[in-house]
Amino acid sequence: MTEPISNLQAALQSGQFVFTGEIGPPKGTNVAPCLHEAEEFLKGTVAAVNVTDIQTAVMRVGSLAICRLLKERGIEPVFQMVCRDRNRLALQSDLLSAAVLGIRNVLALTGDHTTLGDHPEAKPVYDLDSAGLLEAIVNLEGGHDMGHDMKGKPNVLDGAPSFFKGCCVTPCSSSVEAQIIKLELKVAAGAQFVQTQAVYEPQRFEQFMRQIEHLKVPVLVGIVMLKSAGMAKYMNRSVPGVSVPKALIQRLADADKKDLPKVSTAIAAELVRAMRPCCQGAHLMTLGWDRHVPDIIAQATA
Amino acid sequence: MMHDGELTSGGLAAMGGAAGLMQRQWAPCRYHCPVHADVRAYIELIARGQYRSAVDVIRANLPFACVCGRICHHPCEANCRRNDVDEPVAIRELKRFVAELQGAAGSTVRKAPVQDKARVAVVGAGPAGLAAALDLARMGYRPVAFEKFPVAGGIPATAVPKYRLPRDVLRHDVEWILSHGIELRTGVEIGADQTIDGLLAEGFAAVIVATGLPKSRALNVPGMDHRRVLGAMEFLTAAAMDRPMDVGRDVLVIGGGNVAMDAARTALRLGGGRVRAMCLENEQEMPAWAWERREAEEEGVGFIRRRGPAEVLLRGGEIVGVKARKVTRVFDEAGRFAPLYDDADVIEPDCDTVVLAIGQQADMGFARGSGLAADDRGRLVYDPATHETSVPGVFACGEIVTAPGSVVEACAHGQRAAAAVDMYLRGVPVRIDDELPPAIGTISQEVGGKVTKVARAVIAARPAAERAGCFAEIDLTMSEAEALRESRRCMSCGGGAEVIVDKCAACLTCLRVCPFGIPVVTDVARISSDLCQACGMCIADCPAHAIVARSWSAEDLKAATDAALGRLPAGEGARRVVAFVCGHHAPANAWRGSLDDAVGGVAELYLPSMARLSTEQVLHAFEAGADGVVVVACRLGADRYPHATERVRKRVTAVNEMLAEAGLGPDRVQLTETASQGRAAMREAIAAAADRIAAL
Amino acid sequence: MIVAERKPLDEILNMLAPCKRVLALGCGGCVSVCLTGGEKQAAELAVQLRLAARRKKLDLAVEVDCITRQCDREFLTNLKQDPRTFDAVLSLACGCGVGFLSEQYPDVPVLPAMNTTFYGSNTAPGVWEEYCRGCGDCVLAWTAGICPVAKCSKSLLNGICGGTKDGKCEVNPDMECGWSRIYDRLAELGRLDEMRKLRPPRDYRKDRGGGVRRLVLASMTADDQTQEAKE
Repeated sequence: MTEPISNLQAALQSGQFVFTGEIGPPKGTNVAPCLHEAEEFLKGTVAAVNVTDIQTAVMRVGSLAICRLLKERGIEPVFQMVCRDRNRLALQSDLLSAAVLGIRNVLALTGDHTTLGDHPEAKPVYDLDSAGLLEAIVNLEGGHDMGHDMKGKPNVLDGAPSFFKGCCVTPCSSSVEAQIIKLELKVAAGAQFVQTQAVYEPQRFEQFMRQIEHLKVPVLVGIVMLKSAGMAKYMNRSVPGVSVPKALIQRLADADKKDLPKVSTAIAAELVRAMRPCCQGAHLMTLGWDRHVPDIIAQATA
Repeated sequence: MMHDGELTSGGLAAMGGAAGLMQRQWAPCRYHCPVHADVRAYIELIARGQYRSAVDVIRANLPFACVCGRICHHPCEANCRRNDVDEPVAIRELKRFVAELQGAAGSTVRKAPVQDKARVAVVGAGPAGLAAALDLARMGYRPVAFEKFPVAGGIPATAVPKYRLPRDVLRHDVEWILSHGIELRTGVEIGADQTIDGLLAEGFAAVIVATGLPKSRALNVPGMDHRRVLGAMEFLTAAAMDRPMDVGRDVLVIGGGNVAMDAARTALRLGGGRVRAMCLENEQEMPAWAWERREAEEEGVGFIRRRGPAEVLLRGGEIVGVKARKVTRVFDEAGRFAPLYDDADVIEPDCDTVVLAIGQQADMGFARGSGLAADDRGRLVYDPATHETSVPGVFACGEIVTAPGSVVEACAHGQRAAAAVDMYLRGVPVRIDDELPPAIGTISQEVGGKVTKVARAVIAARPAAERAGCFAEIDLTMSEAEALRESRRCMSCGGGAEVIVDKCAACLTCLRVCPFGIPVVTDVARISSDLCQACGMCIADCPAHAIVARSWSAEDLKAATDAALGRLPAGEGARRVVAFVCGHHAPANAWRGSLDDAVGGVAELYLPSMARLSTEQVLHAFEAGADGVVVVACRLGADRYPHATERVRKRVTAVNEMLAEAGLGPDRVQLTETASQGRAAMREAIAAAADRIAAL
Repeated sequence: MIVAERKPLDEILNMLAPCKRVLALGCGGCVSVCLTGGEKQAAELAVQLRLAARRKKLDLAVEVDCITRQCDREFLTNLKQDPRTFDAVLSLACGCGVGFLSEQYPDVPVLPAMNTTFYGSNTAPGVWEEYCRGCGDCVLAWTAGICPVAKCSKSLLNGICGGTKDGKCEVNPDMECGWSRIYDRLAELGRLDEMRKLRPPRDYRKDRGGGVRRLVLASMTADDQTQEAKE
């Protein structure tokens, strides 16, 4: 086994069930609240915290800056990078910047289309796709960038980075076979861990995990807290590859408004418990309800 | 002008626009008409209630419009392409309707501005002679027609039965013809009262012999010279002239042709008693038109077929019967007339009068006092190419030199002779170009199957029992409503779309909008004139203006729109609305713009179908000053062409969007689908639409 | 073929503000085929402009003409009038025609009546869809003829993203997911192995990344050009 580059990698290598969290940077320079959330509820509870990168094409403070600020507060960040906004020059540059700033975990993503966000007029880039980005990272790790010198030979870097590289997959996608083929490509390109899109159907997830066992990569199942029945229905309607069973929606609908956090926490914990046997960890996406992370973990591991 | 292959912009410009396109191919009605009347054109004019224009188109080629409306054997109908869809258009009945409606007074006379060219004598004022005289008069010559009978008209005046051709109908035609500046001298027999040599000496620069076949052929058998053995032509002529005849009560007509049928049916009407017709042929071989045979049979004429007369049997100085042998064969292997008899099989049908209808022959009396040569069969020597006889300056036309034919064929021959005489008198070699544009081909089953079936008008006829007692006309004329409906069955063969190949972008639109699936698109679109129904759907939608119609122009509708708007009262606040109306179900006076219940401020323009109404036509109305447009289409499925209403709906939506963009909206173009629901419903819809436009 | 759509009339009127006499010039090429810029559409635009001008009391005369294509010099000889006698030429051609004509007539403004949108094909009467992005590096051989550049909103090269839902793209529920279609088709053909190959990132120099593109067929150039090329 290789020497772990990051604590996250070490945790996964140790064979323990690993939890990761996620925070979204603010729209503006007021970073205090999101840093506070992370420090208060995630530090020490999860192995690492993902920082989203202009998620859903909504402009925000960059993932790179927040990752550094997390690291300064003793929290291990996972630097999410989307391919939507930057070309290969900027992506490679940001990777070197991340390495220089001490960031060791990277999650390579394609990125939601610009038309889904609040700047629909913007030009989508997608110079690389997620597999291409993973290849680019491996290339940098090998001491080269994607460019060539005057003699046509690959550029040699003065100092190469090292990263623990991740990618994502959508286990409940309507096109799951195509997703699996893509995942194979991403692993071939260098992906070392996988965080999934939200899963609410343990049986389906189990089936999926069997289909990808040949890939031998650690998988952290994605759990998004369902804050209300309305949110659950919205996810069914609008978020591709996510399907919340009617039973769960009913539980949320039946709960009193004041009980929703409790029910939501319980549901998340139950899902983790159900799917834990077939994966290596859980990636908790709370959409601001980070204060419930300790409870989820407690209930899930009790 | 022949069909010159594909149409290009340059080609179209060279022919001065689309008007020349109708000469590229002729509809089979025109092609097979001996005078090549523009049938498609006059049927369309009838459909639009433009009766004077229709009869003028007919008379441009056919002087005997009324006569042919009654008795023409209509090769046009036999070749009408509607035969392959349902039934042929009732062209002859339509011609009768419009020619008799207009009469002589209602047909335009276009005399030559000056008639000062040579005098030409025409011997015989029958169809061939008068047709020749008319053309000569139009060219500025001074024809004089000499007629031995007291009336002009030839066989139609003398031998065609009155139940077939009332004589006042014939007079319309003769009057119209003569009013072009033709002098008629009746009761003058050339060869007796005057000679051809005399005419030439008198100063006639040319003579046309058109004496026809007024006599009957005789039969050389014993008893044929009895006073009650009559020639059919003489019999019919006497009946037509109301002259008394010696006819008994048991008539046997010998012959199987049309003249025999005429004689038999005339005999029935004259005498009462029995009339039978005996002929050599069997039913299939009989040369008489099928409808003549059927009507004769309905009236009570008996038939004895496959028998040939051998002797007229006399007893006591009267005819008692005819000895008739069995005919074993009429035609030989080569189809020539060569009857064979079985003398052992003889019958003796009773009769007291015999009428011989075994053929017509000329009266060569006109040749007395001329140097005209006859051949060894006694027929006038003449050159079919030039109509010249053996005497310079003397020409011949009609049945005197052709085989027995119809009135229209005689007219065609007379017209040809007039052209020959004109060339002769101008001193140029007589060379007549008989070349015709090619005829349209047959319609494919696939396309024919998509044409909306409409039953042919049923012409009311007097019942047989009523007919046999009098000489009143048998077939009644069409009503105006029937005529409008029947004329709208015409498929406008050859009048349809033609692609200007250098403008075509092969966009496939014509192929997609054609209700009949006719365009073929390879490098460019090609639209088969054999199949096109002239609906105009593709012309309206072509993005490249690459399709033109042969029989109509989009510019004409624009001009009509301008004119219609010009007739609306002007002034501040005056309503100015154009209604484009599908005329497929409309009465004639609507087409002519003489509705007495027009909605105020609305000019109604009638089209044969909404298929040809393009968005550009509608936009033009606005540019020409309309405040609004009402499109009056037929109910779905009721239009002349399939899917027209569906396309019109989409065009109306599109043009409203274009107008809204330009600041004229919303809904300045109103659509109503009431054109097929009668005047009241339609008028109400137009008025309501105009009100909505006014409120905008 | 190139698909272009008519600009809104107000935008065109704004463009024509300084003009009194304008030539609406249709094109017999692609825009005729997609029924937006042919002679008929030029004539209709002219009527719309005249009606709008009348309403707004503008002094604007519009004439109409159309040539086979506006992207080749030789067709210009068929113009019925000299464009230089107008205040502007309002071209209904695609951007190629507008740009080319501008070069041919530098003294007359050549204005675009159209927004040129995509290279497309006609999928149903009245419907054209984007099929090609002119990327200069066609990969259709291994995507079963379905273009990942044109038919995938993100122009991804290595397969499906997470935004696909029931075969539709996250951008628009009516839009098909290109990679879903590629997957299905390759599966049908038994060629899914094509999707299992990791494809390297594109060389965008073949696309717009290389600047303005040009094609030169040496066998067809005029002699003096070839000579220059050799020197």
